[in-house]
Amino acid sequence: MNTDRSAPVVLAARNLVRRFGDRTAVDGVSFEVRAGESVGLLGPNGAGKTTTFSMITGLLRPDSGELLLGGAALVSDTDPIKRRLGLVPQDLALYEELDARRNLGFFAAIQGVGQSRIPEAVRSALEFVGLSDRADDRVGTFSGGMKRRLNLAAALLHDPDILLLDEPTVGVDPQSRNAIFDNIAELRRRGKTLLYTTHYMEEVERLCDRVIIIDRGRIVVDDSLARLRHRAGTGAGAELRIELEEPASDTLSGTLRDIPGIGSVRIDGRSVQVRVGSLAAGSSEVLRRLAEAGIAVRSFSAEPPNLEAVFLELTGRSLRDS
Amino acid sequence: MDSWIAIIRLDLALFLRDRKALVLLYLVPVLMAAFFGQLTGGTGGKAERSAIGLVLVDLDGSAASRGVVAAFTNDSTFAVVVTNEAAARARVTAGRVPVGLIFPPGFSTNLLQGIFQSDRRPVVTLLFDPSHETERSLLEGMLVPKIVSGVAEGLLNVDVGRDLIARGRTNILRAERLPEIQRRLLLDSLAQADAFLESRRMSVVQTNAAAGPAELPLPYRVDDQPLTRVAGARYNGFAHSFAGMSLQFVLMVMIDLAVGLLTERQSGTFRRLRAAPLSRATLLLGKATSYAIIALSTFVVSFAVAISAFGVRIHGSWFGFVAVILALCYFSATLALALAAIGRTPKATRGLAIPVVLILLMLGGAWIPSFIFPSWVRTVSLWMPTGWGIEALDAMTWRGLDVSAVFLPVAGLVAVGTLLGGIAWRRFRWDGEAGS
Repeated sequence: MNTDRSAPVVLAARNLVRRFGDRTAVDGVSFEVRAGESVGLLGPNGAGKTTTFSMITGLLRPDSGELLLGGAALVSDTDPIKRRLGLVPQDLALYEELDARRNLGFFAAIQGVGQSRIPEAVRSALEFVGLSDRADDRVGTFSGGMKRRLNLAAALLHDPDILLLDEPTVGVDPQSRNAIFDNIAELRRRGKTLLYTTHYMEEVERLCDRVIIIDRGRIVVDDSLARLRHRAGTGAGAELRIELEEPASDTLSGTLRDIPGIGSVRIDGRSVQVRVGSLAAGSSEVLRRLAEAGIAVRSFSAEPPNLEAVFLELTGRSLRDS
Repeated sequence: MDSWIAIIRLDLALFLRDRKALVLLYLVPVLMAAFFGQLTGGTGGKAERSAIGLVLVDLDGSAASRGVVAAFTNDSTFAVVVTNEAAARARVTAGRVPVGLIFPPGFSTNLLQGIFQSDRRPVVTLLFDPSHETERSLLEGMLVPKIVSGVAEGLLNVDVGRDLIARGRTNILRAERLPEIQRRLLLDSLAQADAFLESRRMSVVQTNAAAGPAELPLPYRVDDQPLTRVAGARYNGFAHSFAGMSLQFVLMVMIDLAVGLLTERQSGTFRRLRAAPLSRATLLLGKATSYAIIALSTFVVSFAVAISAFGVRIHGSWFGFVAVILALCYFSATLALALAAIGRTPKATRGLAIPVVLILLMLGGAWIPSFIFPSWVRTVSLWMPTGWGIEALDAMTWRGLDVSAVFLPVAGLVAVGTLLGGIAWRRFRWDGEAGS
C-alpha cells in the first residue's frame, strides 16, 4: 500500500473528453496516480470506466484533454513509454486455440521483450499466476478462472510499472477470484502502481487505497479509502433488518418515522427495513421503540457501513445499474 | 522486427490449429480441380462446345478466298478477326484466340485444280490453341461448308469459272515446251471442268450446298498446327483447373481471415496489442505477410499435387511461374485487408467479400475459361486481376511462354495489390467500437 503524496505522478489524466456521436462517454475526467498507489476506478456499467481506460492505453484518442505517462504524453503508437503499462483487458485477451506458453510468448514479443528473454519472462509469469503445470495446454481447455489468471499473466511479461486492470475478475468462481486477489495483492507489495476498474465495491475495499467514483462520464468523488469509509460510517448510515414475531401493525411505520435520524422505513408483513443515520444510535432507538410498543422481535441484523452506500448517496443509483 | 515476426508466427500457428480449414484449403481444391479438369478436357480430351474466336489470314486475296472469309465473318458462331500471319500466330500462341486459318497464296486457283489433282490441293493452315481441341475440331468440320458456300459463289459462278478455265487454256496453249499429248490431255480436262462447273452450278442451285461436295474428295488439305512456344509442350487441362481452384480457395480463406481480423479487433487481444508499442503499419504488414504465406502454401500444395499426380509441367519460365504465384499471394493478402478495412464489421465484411470474391473468380476464369462468356462479359473479365493471374499461370505451364509473358500480369497484380494495401492502410482503424 502506498499513499505517499510525495511519490512521483506516473499517470495523469487532465480534462479528458471523449464522445461517441451525440453521447459524451467521458466528460472532463481529471485525476493523478502516484507511483505505488492502488487506485480503484468505480462506476456502474456505462459510467465511462472502459472508455477512460481505452484512452489511457491508446486504444481511443481523447477528443480533448491530455494524458501523461511518467510526465510525457504519448506521441505515437510505437512510443516506448507504452512499455510502462500492462493492460489486463476486461475481455479475455487470449488465443484459445494456442497453448498458454505460446500465448504469452506472442504477447511478450509484441511488448518488445527480447527473444532471448521471452522464455524466462513466460516461465516467471506462469509461475506467478500458478499455471506452470498447464503451460503447454490449449487455453480453450482452461476454466474461466484459469483464463482470467493467464489474462493477468499476459500483462506482466514486460515487467510494467503501471498495471491497468479492467474488471479482472468478471465471471470467475470465488476460488479463482481469491487467487487473482492474492496475485494483485502481491503486485502491490512489489510496488506496482495499480489502476483497477470494477463495479464490485468489495474488490476496491480489499485491493485499493484510493477510490475514484465515476458516473455518467464525470468523476463524482476521488478520495482515499479510509476517508470514504469514515464518510460511510458517519454520513451514509446503515440499514437495519428486523424480522418480527407477528405481522406489523399499521401504526408501526409512523412510530418508527418519528425517530430522529431515520431515513426510510419499509414494512412487508413481518419484515421491516429501516435506514438510520447512525448505526449505534439508530439501532438502539429503533429496538427501544419496538419494545415500548410491545412488538416481539424474532431477529435483528444491521448492514455495516460500506462504499456501496456512499456510491448510492453520491450518484443516486446502485453500482450494478446498467 | 520481433513484433512483425511474432505476428506472422502467431497467425500461422492459429491457422495450423484449425484442421478443418487445412482440409478445406488443401484437399478440396485438389478434388475440385480434378473434377473440373476432367470436365474441361483433362489432358487433351473433348470439351464442351463453346463460342469461338477466330483469326483469319487471307494470303490469296482472290474473290474465292474473300468469299470464304465473308462466310466465316457472317456466321455469328465466330468472332472473326482478319489479320496478318504473324499476328495470327502470336494471338493463338498467347491464348488470346483459340483458332485461326491461313489461306495460302493461290488458294482459289489451286482449289480448282485440286479437284482433279490431289498434289495441287492448297494447304489451309489451321492454327489452334492446344487447350481448345473442341474448337479446332469444330472449325475443321465447318471448313468444308464454309469453303463450299464461300467459294462456290466465285468458283462455281459460270463467268468466273469459265474465266479461270479460259486463262488456263491460254496458258496451256502458250506453253511451247509442253508435249502435245499432254497439252491435249490438259485441254480435255479443262473442257470437262467447264462442263462440270456448269453442272455443279445447276446442282448447287437445286440442292443443299452442304450436300454437294461430300461426294467429292476435298479440294484442299488442312495442316493442323497446335501452337505453344516450346516444342513438345503439351496441353494439360489440369494446369488451368489447378490454378483456378487454388486461387478460389485462397480467396475464400482470405474472406475468413478478413472476418477473423475484425473479430480479433472486437476482442481483448486487440486491446492488448493496442496498449503495446506496436504501430498500425506493423500490425497490417504482419497480417498481410502471414496471409500471403498461407496463400503461398495453398499454391505450393496444389501445384505439387498437379505436377506429381496430374502431369502438369512448367514448360515456360520457373522464375515467371514463381513470380506469378507470389504476385497472386500479395494480391490475395491485400485484398483480405482491404475487405476488412472497408467492411469494418465481421458481418459486413463477409457480406461484401463473398460477392467480390465470387465475381473475381467467375469473371477471372477460375471456374470456367472466360472465352465462353458473352463478349461484354469477356470485356469486363479483362479487368479482373484474378484472370491476369490465371492466364499468366497458363502461360508458364502448358503454353510454355517465356518470362516476358508474365511481366504485365505480375505488374498488374502488384499494382492492384498495392492499391488495396493503400486502401487498407487508410481505412483500417484500431478502434472499431464504442466504449462504456
